[in-house]
Amino acid sequence: MEQAAPDPERLWQPAPLEPLSHPDAGLESMVGEETKGARDEGPGDGTMTENNFSLKKIEISVSEAEKRTGRNAMNMQETYTAYLIETRSVEHNDGQSVLTDSLWRRYSEFELLRNYLLVYYPHIVVPPLPEKRAEFVWHKLSADNMDPDFVERRRIGLENFLLRVASHPILCRDKIFYLFLTQEGNWKETVNETGFQLKADSRLKALNATFRVKNPDKRFIELKHYSDELQSVISHLLRVRARVADRLYGVYKVHGNYGRVFSEWSAIEKEMGDGLQSAGHHMDVYASSIDDILEDEEHYADQLKEYLFYAEALRAVCRKHELMQYDLEMAAQDLASKKQQCEELATGTVRTFSLKGMTTKLFGQETPEQREARIKMLEEQIKEGEQQLKSKNLEGREFVRNAWADIERFKEQKNHDLKEALISYAVMQISMCKKAIWDVLKDCAVLFFFCAPSGRKKS
Amino acid sequence: MSGGPPKALQSTGPQSLRDMPHPLAGSSSEEAVGGDSTPSPDLLTARSFGDKDLILPNGGTPAGTASPASSSSLLNRLQLDDDMDGETRDLFVTVDDPKKHVCTMETYITYRITTKSTRVEFDLPEYSVRRRYQDFDWLRNKLEESQPTHLIPPLPEKFVVKGVVDRFSEEFVETRRKALDKFLKRITDHPVLSFNEHFNVFLTAKDLNAHKKQGMALLTRVGESVKHVAGGYKLRNRPLEFAAIGEYLDTFALKLGTIDRIAQRIIKEEIEYLVELREYGPVYSTWSALEGELAEPLEGVSACIGNCSTALEELTDDMTEDFLPVLREYILYSDSMKSVLKKRDQVQAEYETKLEAVALKKEERPKVPADVEKCQDRMECFNADLKADMERWQNNKRQDFRQLLMGMADKNIQYYEKCLMAWESIIPLLQEKQEAKRYPFIGKNQDMQSNGKKYQLFYSSFLILNLPSPTSYKMALI
Repeated sequence: MEQAAPDPERLWQPAPLEPLSHPDAGLESMVGEETKGARDEGPGDGTMTENNFSLKKIEISVSEAEKRTGRNAMNMQETYTAYLIETRSVEHNDGQSVLTDSLWRRYSEFELLRNYLLVYYPHIVVPPLPEKRAEFVWHKLSADNMDPDFVERRRIGLENFLLRVASHPILCRDKIFYLFLTQEGNWKETVNETGFQLKADSRLKALNATFRVKNPDKRFIELKHYSDELQSVISHLLRVRARVADRLYGVYKVHGNYGRVFSEWSAIEKEMGDGLQSAGHHMDVYASSIDDILEDEEHYADQLKEYLFYAEALRAVCRKHELMQYDLEMAAQDLASKKQQCEELATGTVRTFSLKGMTTKLFGQETPEQREARIKMLEEQIKEGEQQLKSKNLEGREFVRNAWADIERFKEQKNHDLKEALISYAVMQISMCKKAIWDVLKDCAVLFFFCAPSGRKKS
Repeated sequence: MSGGPPKALQSTGPQSLRDMPHPLAGSSSEEAVGGDSTPSPDLLTARSFGDKDLILPNGGTPAGTASPASSSSLLNRLQLDDDMDGETRDLFVTVDDPKKHVCTMETYITYRITTKSTRVEFDLPEYSVRRRYQDFDWLRNKLEESQPTHLIPPLPEKFVVKGVVDRFSEEFVETRRKALDKFLKRITDHPVLSFNEHFNVFLTAKDLNAHKKQGMALLTRVGESVKHVAGGYKLRNRPLEFAAIGEYLDTFALKLGTIDRIAQRIIKEEIEYLVELREYGPVYSTWSALEGELAEPLEGVSACIGNCSTALEELTDDMTEDFLPVLREYILYSDSMKSVLKKRDQVQAEYETKLEAVALKKEERPKVPADVEKCQDRMECFNADLKADMERWQNNKRQDFRQLLMGMADKNIQYYEKCLMAWESIIPLLQEKQEAKRYPFIGKNQDMQSNGKKYQLFYSSFLILNLPSPTSYKMALI
């Protein structure tokens, strides 16, 4: 498959505004790029002007989810969830945002978008979607796709996906992505019209290449190993974490049983009554606090899951390289064999076994004219082959260079994001501990006073 | 285990009077004795780490991350103030130093009983003897016989199912020792029982077995006539307080039984949670081995989780060692109290029967016969003794349970403090070299706010602004 230069038709042109100085963090994303040294666009394409092309800030959010019913491809009733995507453009003067587009999309359309990006940007580590089905569940969590908590977490995941695409320096300029955000009807048809499905590499081909490639770039081999191991370790982590959550839930809930019995006990006591009530109440509060705690932890798990799926995207880039490299190797091999054939014909020596050689032996030599014709054909093929090899080589090197640039970008992003995730996990634990201590102290104050001040001697 | 005896059953050495833990104090008073200093971060460090060393990712204690004051030591101070009410005592008894004896016929454990007293009933100011469980059992039976009108404290369970519980395990022996210590201290504190001659013999005799053989000669008059009968007595006029106490004890024992069961279930769940946690931590280590920049943070998280696991293990041990035995002790107490109440009923029944018999013959003799009077005396004595003991029991019960619940609360706080410390110490590690970047972050801000978790934001702000934690405000108030 060819590595085409970014196709002008697939890019979209933001409206020209004054240049923006500094990108901000957070929910905003920067679209477009300063184009002082504008890229080479196709001839005759004047839609991208050089110096007054500047930055426009947009905000993307997936703000709502709604259950819908409709008819599917087989004309059967089905229930699905639709998500509202809102795009706002930010007037950077006053920071006010104006709603420019809003439309509804379902999960399958996101999948379509992503598959398209995978095909047309094979050198990019394409951001992953949130999981299709709930996995790594522990018993209280529902595995049902219609469950409101699942839908909510999916909504956040989809928003994150869009933000990641929009903040990627290359992907953000894709026209289909732009249309995904702006053109509700007909978008599916538009995507399919690009014919990207045909351009996709077959799984079989990719698998074949993986096994047979002789000389892939060492860095890609290492990266492949890394992404495999990352996938494995994060899966393991998520599985154990789910079990931990399950057990913790059990611990908290059993504490809840104390509530009633302490209350009943307090009823038969005189001075101790208040203290016991307080203890019972404390247990109830404690038991119910687990729900919030585990909800936060699911959030952390989602962040890990994103990178679990990112590992798959990394793997895809490696596979693409292997495929291209294999292609290259095959082309080189083919060329070499043709050259050899040509040489053999020219010099009349037969060094390798060939069908022609066989038939020649059996049916007699060909005429000099026939031989000349064949040599000529071969020479042309060789010339073509050499051109192709050259361009494949170039493509391959360019792919490696571009892919590696994106991989470096990805590495930095990953390190930053995962550190953030760990920090917020630690902060979560800290505030949970502090709250727990606070709750115990509060209830202890009552406990402390439940004994009548001792003027009596104990004995 | 936190603060327990060393693994081998060694002698703990002589202890001065002042160092002996307060009679009714639980393990949480370890720090309370002589503890009047303001808890400093060093104190926090020293006591929070317990017997097992906590591993910090950078090695050593983290600087500047200790909370200003430990909430746990706060609780201890409160308990201490209450316990030391400056009573003058002239008898001190301690049970310690368990030792295993292996003989041809059997293997058993003896405990050292140390007595210090200025009472005239004791020839020497100090005694030290060795006793085994059956000696305690003998003492209790003797006390029941000789002081039937009083409540005798319970002993820990006599029988243990062999094969399920290891009679010689460190934990079992320690739990039993504590219970035996409590038993003797309760007797010591009792104004009547502490002067009992059997008690004296128990504390002082070199050879208890010789005394056991003379048993019968020491019985007092009241003991003879008491027969233990199952079932209640039909009484005319059971005094209200005793009826009420009877009902109370039924419900009380029931509730404690339920609490015991729940506590055991919690321990079981916590152990299962611990198993998973012990697998969870190391996965971060495995991950850390794959990474470059993330290696240290991930390793830090792994160590952190390990520390929390250790802290939880200590908490679970504490529950088993401190919480459950007290519940069981009071359940046993209730049982023995109920049987004393029955005896009291019996005495009253005897009296009432005799009275009735006399009333029938009333025409003949106008005066009340001597033996009826004696019965009445006996009944009234019993009632008085029992009433006094009941009050004492109620007080002790209040103290004990308050201490128990506070103690458990304290242990819980210690657990959370350990976890808190572990997590706080890795924050600087994680924040190294982290700048604000423009990568989108999965709905972080909106999520926190939309759930309106006021505590999260509340405490996060403490963290960010580096304010002292709420607990120090609490201390300031008190």
